[in-house]
Amino acid sequence: MKKAFLISLSLSLVALSSAHATPPTQPKAPGIESPDYAWDEQSSEEAQMLKMKGDVAQGKIAYQGCQGCHKPDASGLPDGTYPQLAGQHTTVLIKQMSDVREGRRDNPKMFPFAGKHVVDTQEVADIAAYLNSLPLPGHNDKGPGSDLVRGKMLYERDCVSCHGEHGEGNAEKFYPVTNGQHYRYMVRQIVTIRDGSRRNAYPKMVKVVKNYSVSDIGAVADYMSRMELPAKAEK
Amino acid sequence: MNRSILAILALFSASTAFAAPPVKGDAKKGEVIANQVCAACHGPDGNGTNPPNPDYPKLAGIQPEYLFKQLKDFAVGKRKNDIMSAMVANLSMDDLANLALYFSAQKNTPGVSSNPELLESGKKFYADGNPDQGVPACAGCHLPNGAGTSAYPHVAGQHASYVFQQLKRFASGERDNDRGLVMQSLSMRMTEQEMKAVSEYVTSLK
Repeated sequence: MKKAFLISLSLSLVALSSAHATPPTQPKAPGIESPDYAWDEQSSEEAQMLKMKGDVAQGKIAYQGCQGCHKPDASGLPDGTYPQLAGQHTTVLIKQMSDVREGRRDNPKMFPFAGKHVVDTQEVADIAAYLNSLPLPGHNDKGPGSDLVRGKMLYERDCVSCHGEHGEGNAEKFYPVTNGQHYRYMVRQIVTIRDGSRRNAYPKMVKVVKNYSVSDIGAVADYMSRMELPAKAEK
Repeated sequence: MNRSILAILALFSASTAFAAPPVKGDAKKGEVIANQVCAACHGPDGNGTNPPNPDYPKLAGIQPEYLFKQLKDFAVGKRKNDIMSAMVANLSMDDLANLALYFSAQKNTPGVSSNPELLESGKKFYADGNPDQGVPACAGCHLPNGAGTSAYPHVAGQHASYVFQQLKRFASGERDNDRGLVMQSLSMRMTEQEMKAVSEYVTSLK
């Protein structure tokens, strides 16, 4: 028993130490393809981070490792490569970072900068608190504007019940703020959610967009990219 | 077994100690050692040699936390360099802190780009990284003017040849004392041309 433990410990140590020589690759955890997948089930680390009190000032420091891609104002890139994060719910940020760290959301580009070897759990909570405190940049990528009537119809039929009248999402339920998100980022995410390659998707949403054509996705994302927050809307 | 545990502990202490505490010491005492031990290669004011030598980086104006960490890493072998290991072997931790404070307080002289035709593409890479390859913008951590932050070193004006050499070493894993593997992770996604261009741009920053 003890010997087996020592062997497995030393094996894991060897694995860890060899992981140091070359940057680690993202682990792969069961996702939506797995039969007992529960989209909002919290891993122990995620639950721990959600309970932590994030420190905005510390988060600003820890965010220095993120702003190379997500930009100092957290507005990401208009071409949709990197999402807008300012004002996002802390719960959503923690869940998504946790999913990347533990391999439920495949993101080999982000993993080397957000993995457990780079930021600790308190820093994840701090980064989330900092991002949540930032104002919406207000210069997101927008769609062509050619199919907004259809986009509005789809949004009001399929999306508003979770993402809210103004795209404000729901912090408690891990539904993201979509208000002010880049059009091309949303298109990319809806496509990957529809097609199953975003493995940490909410199955209910997969069902909703399952029959969406590319033009449906474009229309609804375009409409969402143009939403305005009412003057005193809660985040 | 015990050795691997120690190695792991060393790795964890290296990669989790992000917010380095302020370096305490006496820059005046550092100056005495600098003139005796360091000046021949790094210049008396820490601005390196002229012409620049890729093995002798500029140290002037770099954050004391960064300089102190590098010196300690040379001392314990986390950053491998035969010359530097020998140089720091007879210095105490206090000496290293004093040196870091001395060089940090020196004025960084502007660098000179010897390949100005690369500046434009280097500037673009520095500001934007390479989104397709998932390389973050250098400006994110090292700031648009290359001044760095409390956690990431000043790079403005550094010898282009040194920056290029370090990027290559991070990419190959030969240098592996970077914070959370961030530099290794991104440099391995860079082309040699990108490394060259961004090195030229870094040296041109003031």
